[in-house]
Amino acid sequence: MSNTDIVLEICGSAGEGTISSGEIFNRYISSIDFEIMSFDTYPSEIRGFGKCVAHSRFSTQKIFTPGKYTDILIALNDAHSISQLGHLKDTGVVIYDSKPPKYHEEDKSIVGWMEPGMISYGIPFNDLAQKAAGNSRGRNMVALGAVCALFGVDHEEFKNTIIQRYAKKKQIVIDNNVNSFVEGYNWANDNLTKIDSISFKKGKNKNEKESIIINGNQAVAKAAIDSELHLYAGYPITPATKIMEILSHELPKKNGIMLQTEDEISAIGNVLGAGFAGKRSMTATSGPGFALMTEFMGLSVMAQIPAVIVNSQRGGPSTGLPTKTEQSDFNAAVNGGTGDLPRFVIAPASVEECYDGTTLAFYLAEKYQTLVVILLDFFLSNSIRNIDEPTPPTEKMLNSNIAPNEKELKDYVRFKETKTGVSPRSIPGTPNGMYTTTGLENNERGKPQYDGKLHTKMSDMRYRKLNSALNDVPKPKWTGPKKDIDVGILSWGSSAGAAYEAATIANKNGHRVAVLSSLVVFPVNEVDLTKFCNESKQILIPELNYSGQYANFIASYINRPVERLNMVSGLPMASEDVLSKIDEMIAS
Amino acid sequence: MDNFKINYIDEMLDDVEKKDFLKYRTGELPTWCPGCGYFGITQSIVQSCNELNLKNEDICVASGIGCAGRFPVFMDVYGFHTLHGRSVPVASGMKLAREELTVFAIAGDGDIMGIGGGHLPHIARKNIDITLFLFDNSIYGLTKGQSSSTTPFEQTTNSHPFGNPDQPLKPVSLALSYGATFVARAFAGNVDQMTAIFKKGITHKGFSFIHILTPCVTFDKVNYTWKNLKANVEEIYDEFDHTNHTEAMRIAEKSRLYTGIFYHRYDVPSYQDYLKQK
Amino acid sequence: MSAKDHFIIIGNGPAGNNAAEVLRENDKKARISIISTESFSFYYRHRLKDFISGRIPAEDLVVKHYSEYKDKNIRLRLGQFVEKIDPEKKILYLKHMEKINYTKLIIATGGSPRILPSLTIFQDYLTMFSTYSDTVGLRHRIEKAKEIVVLGGDLTSFSFVKSLVKACKKVSFLLFNDAFWPISLTSEMILKIEENLKSHNVATFFNDSVEMIKKSKSKYTIETKQNNKIKSDIIISLMGMIPNIRFILGSSIDTDRGVLVDAYLRTNFKDIYAAGDCAQIYNPILKNYWVSIGWMNAEEQGKIAALNLLGDSKIIEPPKEEIFEYEGIKVNTSWWKKF
Repeated sequence: MSNTDIVLEICGSAGEGTISSGEIFNRYISSIDFEIMSFDTYPSEIRGFGKCVAHSRFSTQKIFTPGKYTDILIALNDAHSISQLGHLKDTGVVIYDSKPPKYHEEDKSIVGWMEPGMISYGIPFNDLAQKAAGNSRGRNMVALGAVCALFGVDHEEFKNTIIQRYAKKKQIVIDNNVNSFVEGYNWANDNLTKIDSISFKKGKNKNEKESIIINGNQAVAKAAIDSELHLYAGYPITPATKIMEILSHELPKKNGIMLQTEDEISAIGNVLGAGFAGKRSMTATSGPGFALMTEFMGLSVMAQIPAVIVNSQRGGPSTGLPTKTEQSDFNAAVNGGTGDLPRFVIAPASVEECYDGTTLAFYLAEKYQTLVVILLDFFLSNSIRNIDEPTPPTEKMLNSNIAPNEKELKDYVRFKETKTGVSPRSIPGTPNGMYTTTGLENNERGKPQYDGKLHTKMSDMRYRKLNSALNDVPKPKWTGPKKDIDVGILSWGSSAGAAYEAATIANKNGHRVAVLSSLVVFPVNEVDLTKFCNESKQILIPELNYSGQYANFIASYINRPVERLNMVSGLPMASEDVLSKIDEMIAS
Repeated sequence: MDNFKINYIDEMLDDVEKKDFLKYRTGELPTWCPGCGYFGITQSIVQSCNELNLKNEDICVASGIGCAGRFPVFMDVYGFHTLHGRSVPVASGMKLAREELTVFAIAGDGDIMGIGGGHLPHIARKNIDITLFLFDNSIYGLTKGQSSSTTPFEQTTNSHPFGNPDQPLKPVSLALSYGATFVARAFAGNVDQMTAIFKKGITHKGFSFIHILTPCVTFDKVNYTWKNLKANVEEIYDEFDHTNHTEAMRIAEKSRLYTGIFYHRYDVPSYQDYLKQK
Repeated sequence: MSAKDHFIIIGNGPAGNNAAEVLRENDKKARISIISTESFSFYYRHRLKDFISGRIPAEDLVVKHYSEYKDKNIRLRLGQFVEKIDPEKKILYLKHMEKINYTKLIIATGGSPRILPSLTIFQDYLTMFSTYSDTVGLRHRIEKAKEIVVLGGDLTSFSFVKSLVKACKKVSFLLFNDAFWPISLTSEMILKIEENLKSHNVATFFNDSVEMIKKSKSKYTIETKQNNKIKSDIIISLMGMIPNIRFILGSSIDTDRGVLVDAYLRTNFKDIYAAGDCAQIYNPILKNYWVSIGWMNAEEQGKIAALNLLGDSKIIEPPKEEIFEYEGIKVNTSWWKKF
């Protein structure tokens, strides 16, 4: 069976059901066993225009990026959709409303802007929806019906997906949607002559595991709930807000609390307070909020209190580009704050890793009594995938606090020196476990003290925790050849997807390209890094920031020149971008 | 003279041991200057805990930075000496995590009227069940005598040698207008009244704001001196209606420094009680 | 000319493309747009038959690539149907519901397949083609088909039949000599054609006509007046072309069979011109209108319409009588008056 790899976009105005039709499409496509990677753009993130885009790539192969170019564009709204033509393939298909209520002014129609070679199918969305339901709300369903007719999709099965999607709604809503869908399907079947060659009937072979459709933010929220999160404290900020919104629904079910604070300082303050009191807590933010949290980050490390911060990066610096994706908070996450500030930094590369990274974060924060930063980005937060039901955290991961035993409590020394650097931590309510922790340098009993010897010893203990944790975190993922590597890609975060795809293609083309990426980007696993670099003739570091933050960081470990691929276009990295850099490097 | 003093402390020590409130103190010696009002406040807090029969391990104290910030170091409870101005959010997190704990936020005037001023309205309107002790000496003590947000207009300080150009904030008025459900003022020199107020504040289900007038004997020789405070404070009269917000606002605005409970509202559920109802 | 000018050419064939080239050569600033119902690049129509029978790939049809339009700053609007013209307000109404304003307009829409009145009742069973998009699906069907019937009423039909034979199809041919387009066949010609086709193993049915077409499952059966029964997978009707002017009807642009233009290729509206197969041109000498077909004629007319639009006043010369060899038959195509 030949491979299918298609990008479909639905573009409309807020209220036209753009995102919900994308969601239904994804559900169906996932149910017929395609790999999906989808990405929605909401109006709140595009100021003033109300434009919505549901972008969806689906494939019979494993995919890691949302795809740079679109095959099929469904234009629910002409004016909004015109700009989407910019990344429609040369032979892409546009499905549009052929009978809007009135004529478009010149150049306000999508068809008018189509490039030669692109194919358009006009369907009277409005008329058909009116016919089916007496109002035009079902235009999106008409469009989906036409999609089924045009591309050979089983419309009965698809219909069931629609029914399931609206199962909780009134019967009339279900009927209107289904009828609109059927109307679109029949009309397209009767009236359209197919001139493109796209079809997608069935995906890959059936997967055994139950799969769920989820985006990065949802994966983080789900992982947090599964990790027994008790308090989420946060302040709304794009693109992290959704985590807060999901948790505001989910936490009360588990007797947890979602606290909307007055600012990010208060948010992280509450997180530390709850952490001190022995409950799992977290906050999620983006660049500007992360900047405000810096002082508390230092306190978390110094006072040895667990804290989990999700930073979903957007374009920076300052307020930056709130709705664009970027990986430019690496420096802030790894080095942000004053003084010598060891912390864990986790950078998921995929939606799956958003889940795993979050459960890991709670485990590490609690066990090592310190700060864990999870670096997401706008793209990862909003990228929707169908993934296997993730593995929930184990009992060991859920109860990772090392508490003092009875003997230790007889004369409790909170910051007692240990080999691992981790001292047993008592939580409030434990008799005889009382102690005071502080942001001041302090002795083993927590008493503020400033002598140089002590500061050296305590600094060493704080760093020792990270080193001892290296065996406690997943090893870096090494994909591709293990020896004689032409180009070794050191990748981090969401741009690793583009690196995987590019490496796969390059290897098919006869090159030897490998990728090393690590869920935990700090502390660095130097053993694996050195081994990988020793096997690589050239090193490439692709990342979505201008200055090459990861490249600069890694250079101090590997002590050799690296090639960089830096992009700040606001878009996720595409495999095409990495591939052309690989080709360039091999050619030189 | 000398004998009299020694006798006095001995008497006190007997009293302390009898009342068993030393158990709330650590062995650490306070770093405060001799004569500082904070000793009295500490005494009252410890005494309140004792009289309310609170267990050490069930008390959490979060403090900010400044002379008041050191407070938890001297108390044998779960203490967290946090950041400048941030005792309130940390205390809030403690309470939200573990409702069964008794949580105090300790703050100086620099903490809660200055750098962390933004937290006060929100802790008040959220009505999270913590008690905020504002140690107001109207000066930055730890950094040696700069103007604070409660330093009077035109007062000469180390940061304003030609007189403070800023008008002082009025903590009680602010707390009242933010909707705090328990607002009181105490005087560090009146341990008995303080203890009574503290106990009410601690047992109040919801956010309690306690403004404590205290001198900085080292850096403030003109405003909140023992002498001035003693002359200016006056206990709120017994018949005062604590549920009357307008009255509370009226006496809070007076130049006379009233002490006692200004406002006590019972009908607003605490943050966590509200969540339980939903 | 100012940059505010918007010259629109409807039609992406030889007339339209030549017009656009001339316009751009003489006016660097004006906006120039070509609007065409076809979604495919400018292509050689006479090669379609070889494409349908699978003998050449689509690339071989292309005359001009898309990029060439971009280079010349000519906006190509493909797959777009002009539904209505308002010559007073100078607005085009497109089928996809867009209004476009023009300052000057050239209509060069060519022709579309003619269907014989006697066959209209069987229209659903007949396959016709004149454009690339017609042929894409057809190519696929022909690939699968074994038996094919061609209803031949024009010159293309002969070469198409041969193309099918070369693609190893069993072909039957019904000649419609009474309705032949664009010339009348002499009996001498008919004989030669029959001979020629038979030599290619084509089953020929001359002096016969369609009585009935039946369909069962995916097979068609044609019953003729002479009681012949011909089985077929596809019936292809090739009856020549008629000017493509339906969208103009109802506007106040004068039409007859085609768009009526004077010797300068001007319509009755000052800024609207027509060129190529869709135009019906006045010949001052004949004192009558004439229609031309053929690639070269269309190219020439496109250029002249463009020059006149720009302010020139070039008259279209009635082409000289030209005779060329067609499958051993001498045919006069460039000069005729009759449909």
